[in-house]
Amino acid sequence: MNNDSQRFNLKALFKVNIIFFFIIAFIGLLLVRLFYVQVIKYSFYHQSALNNQLEQSKIPATRGLIEAHEAGQLIPIVLNQQFFTIYADPTLIKNIDKTSSDLSGVLNMPKSTLKSLLETHNTRYVVVAKKVSQDQANKILGFRYPGLGSLGQDYRVYPQGDLASQLLGFVDNSGHGNYGIEQVLNNQLSGKTGYLKAITDVNGVPLAASKNNIDIPPQNGKNVVLTLDLAMQKQLQDILANAAKSEKSPLISAVIMDSNTGAIKAMANYPSYNPAHYNQVKDPNLFNNATVANPIEPGSTMKVFTAAAALNHGNVNQNTTYNDPSQWIIDGFKITNIEEDGGAGKKSIEDILNLSLNTGATWLLMQMGGGKVDLKARQVWNDYMTNHFRFGKATDIEQGYESGGIVPNPDIANQSDDQQNLAYANTSFGQGVTVTPLQMASALSSVINGGTRYEPYLVDGFADSQGNVNYNKPKVIASNVVSSNTSNSMISLLETVVKKHEEAGFKYLAFPSGYNIGGKTGTAQVPKPDGGYYDNKFNGTYLGFVGGNKPQYSVAIFVTTPTVPGYAGSYGAQPIFGNIAHMLINQSYVTPIGQ
Amino acid sequence: MRPRNTQIRQNDSSNHVQGMPRRHKPDYILLIIALILISFGLVLIYSIGPGLVIGTNLSQNYYINRQMISVALGACAFMATAFLPFKFWIKSEKFLISIAIISALLVRVFGQRVNGAYRWIQVGGFSFQSSELLKFTLLIWLAGFLSLRVKDGTIKDFKKTLLPVGIVLIALLLVVAGVQSDLGSTTVMIFMIVAMVFVAGLPMKKIVLIGLVVAFLVFIAIITSSYRQQRVATFLHPSSNCQTTGYQTCQAMIAVGSGGMIGLGLGQSVQAYGYLPEAANDSIFAIFAEKFGFIGCSIFLLLFAALFTRLKHIIDRCPNNFTRLIVVGILAWLSVQTFINVGAMVGILPLKGITLPFISYGGSSMIFVMAAIGLVFYISRYTLHTVPTKEVGRNDYDNSRNGGRIRRTRYSSLGGR
Repeated sequence: MNNDSQRFNLKALFKVNIIFFFIIAFIGLLLVRLFYVQVIKYSFYHQSALNNQLEQSKIPATRGLIEAHEAGQLIPIVLNQQFFTIYADPTLIKNIDKTSSDLSGVLNMPKSTLKSLLETHNTRYVVVAKKVSQDQANKILGFRYPGLGSLGQDYRVYPQGDLASQLLGFVDNSGHGNYGIEQVLNNQLSGKTGYLKAITDVNGVPLAASKNNIDIPPQNGKNVVLTLDLAMQKQLQDILANAAKSEKSPLISAVIMDSNTGAIKAMANYPSYNPAHYNQVKDPNLFNNATVANPIEPGSTMKVFTAAAALNHGNVNQNTTYNDPSQWIIDGFKITNIEEDGGAGKKSIEDILNLSLNTGATWLLMQMGGGKVDLKARQVWNDYMTNHFRFGKATDIEQGYESGGIVPNPDIANQSDDQQNLAYANTSFGQGVTVTPLQMASALSSVINGGTRYEPYLVDGFADSQGNVNYNKPKVIASNVVSSNTSNSMISLLETVVKKHEEAGFKYLAFPSGYNIGGKTGTAQVPKPDGGYYDNKFNGTYLGFVGGNKPQYSVAIFVTTPTVPGYAGSYGAQPIFGNIAHMLINQSYVTPIGQ
Repeated sequence: MRPRNTQIRQNDSSNHVQGMPRRHKPDYILLIIALILISFGLVLIYSIGPGLVIGTNLSQNYYINRQMISVALGACAFMATAFLPFKFWIKSEKFLISIAIISALLVRVFGQRVNGAYRWIQVGGFSFQSSELLKFTLLIWLAGFLSLRVKDGTIKDFKKTLLPVGIVLIALLLVVAGVQSDLGSTTVMIFMIVAMVFVAGLPMKKIVLIGLVVAFLVFIAIITSSYRQQRVATFLHPSSNCQTTGYQTCQAMIAVGSGGMIGLGLGQSVQAYGYLPEAANDSIFAIFAEKFGFIGCSIFLLLFAALFTRLKHIIDRCPNNFTRLIVVGILAWLSVQTFINVGAMVGILPLKGITLPFISYGGSSMIFVMAAIGLVFYISRYTLHTVPTKEVGRNDYDNSRNGGRIRRTRYSSLGGR
């Protein structure tokens, strides 16, 4: 080596030192920057990462099914079907033209519509189509186009159409039950929504084994078993539909109850609707289950309870007779009889029910007091109406929007005794008091089953996921509604009423031997909205039972303003009862005498 | 007595390699650092395997398996450069240049356009990044060229030195930046050239002149490609374009920042699951930062610092200008490429789309980086015992080819193996 190259070496090495200095300086700069990004700005980037990576979602629980009895089996009448919402993230879609043309083939939507949806700017979520079938959703996801996704949602389906629709209610788009069973049992049916909080990959798939993940699985809703007998329900709906047609009634409601348990076997209103298309219903009144939600003045069917109260109170018995004046003057108002009463004279309890004597019902009320309509009579009758027969109170059946009706207070301050006596005299024959068909049927059951009040119920039990049903037991609310003597007397009185009506020409009330059928008609004046009553509008009601050795089914029927050639009770409601009673007997729902 | 040394001496007929001292133990520390870095890369790629194959039908081990092949090929490249005699590379210089130029041009013809750039030649299931070969070829040619000029004493001659270098530089810019649109590799090559001519002794004035020309050409390159304009705009305003052009930068910053002080842990990277593009490749440092945090990153960068220090150590002891310039070029190559890559991940440099040496997934990078390390390894066998100082006599004495006979060096006991 000569000196020249040595000099070069030294110079070169000095230059290498300069380069190396820059390298080390740059590494220092990177370390400073890393410290800033990773330590000082950590929380900012940590939050950005979570915004990016953390998926929090609710996992919907499957809504419980609703089942009912048919021929010894449980048949689901409300089911779920999963449909899908197809959504898109327009920022991720690569080939809008091809994506939209393939989508349009599957969804039967015009390509131009889809194209404009996928071209939406400034959003990462566009709903492409709703209520898409599983097949269609699978096809769409099968394309594996970026930016498309599907979201499953359960919808209620009703294989039996409008069967028991008002009783069932419907489920709205947000998954909430409205009206009927769906509303009252919403919590049990809907179950518990699951919750997922997870760090996910870019496609939203949770990454395994992240310590912050939360995964609470959903608890599916319980399956509900109803007390309804589906065949009976169908036939009841047919009977009501035919009657509504022939009698031109805007609303008919009826309930068939097991007299000895309180279980509802059939419950229907006409008209009804299909809950699958609840959003096409124009009149929201159609959603109401009128059998529990529409209390009206029942008219003479109330005399069943006036008689039962008087018999049970003890001052009269089944064979008591009295002199009927054919009219009473109370508070200056005349109480007369609507139907032919045969004039003043000696009348029996049976006559009161058979001829439907308002004066007779008023006389019965008088027997509960001091021989006239007075405070005591009002108090006793009120006690029977509200505490024994439980009018004016909701029955607590599993239905949304149940109404308890109105029973007037027996002793209103600032109101003269006379006025209250008149009001109470009216209640003895079913005016000035409102009840629902369900209340009527429930009260009748307690009068004819020996005096036991059962809580009426629609929910027979809840089924677990294996299909085992945990059945509810009938719930006894009171066991001394009336004495068994009173009960027996009422049974025979009501049976006589039906026999006498048959003899009087209502031939459809002829039943095969081996069955006992009892009942009472009611024709009620319809109150005007601004007070007073219409002269020409009447509601027909019927309260009856069907049985063998003992009453088995209690039936209440309310017919709103039928157009019939006679009293609304006898010509509107009574034929419906006849059809129901025949149906129950013919279809072997009733156990005949001796079996 | 020392047949191998003698042989080398006799065969050192080439001009470049004159003055090689006797052979001794190579620098294993350099190799160990390189192996540690490669292992880091393998562990990283293995651990994010499941995230890399999201949305594909590939097996979770697809990437690690292919990276193992790359490492094996890299090991072969290392063996070739570390054990073939130097003259082999000097003799095949012309062949290398031809192959490099042809492959660089083929990229445009057969190449695959990835992220707006043509960088890859696809052959069957394998792809080849021609710019890696170009870097390697440039290294050998320029070191030879400059060391000859130094020997001739014409290093400052415009016609003999600056003009050819300038022509090569402009040709590279045209091919790599222009034809391949690969600004990252171009930058690395420019820095390699600048570092080598700087150390070789080109006057500063002329280097500045070259710098101005390059700056002008880079400016032209940027304004003629909307893809590069986007990248610059993204670099200047990263967060405003997070959903579009700045997506990769934003996701990289999120990965780095969410690593925090100690990181999420080896198996805990989330950004690798489809969020961060090129997670195994250009963005792998961000994944490392997410997993191991600031502490891990510091160790990581210190390892690179150790590697560069080792290269500097060897440069200081190179026996001649040719080998010195080779190692200087390699130091510039590896350091600039590392800085461009990491700088982009931490948001202080624009994204250039180049690999992180030793770590990133990919065969071409691994092969040529290992080839470069092999060259240094080879050279390290012939380093001087001490750094040259002004004490001319002592150094001459120490580093003479016969020094071992007179004075035992610490290597001499191994010399006769």
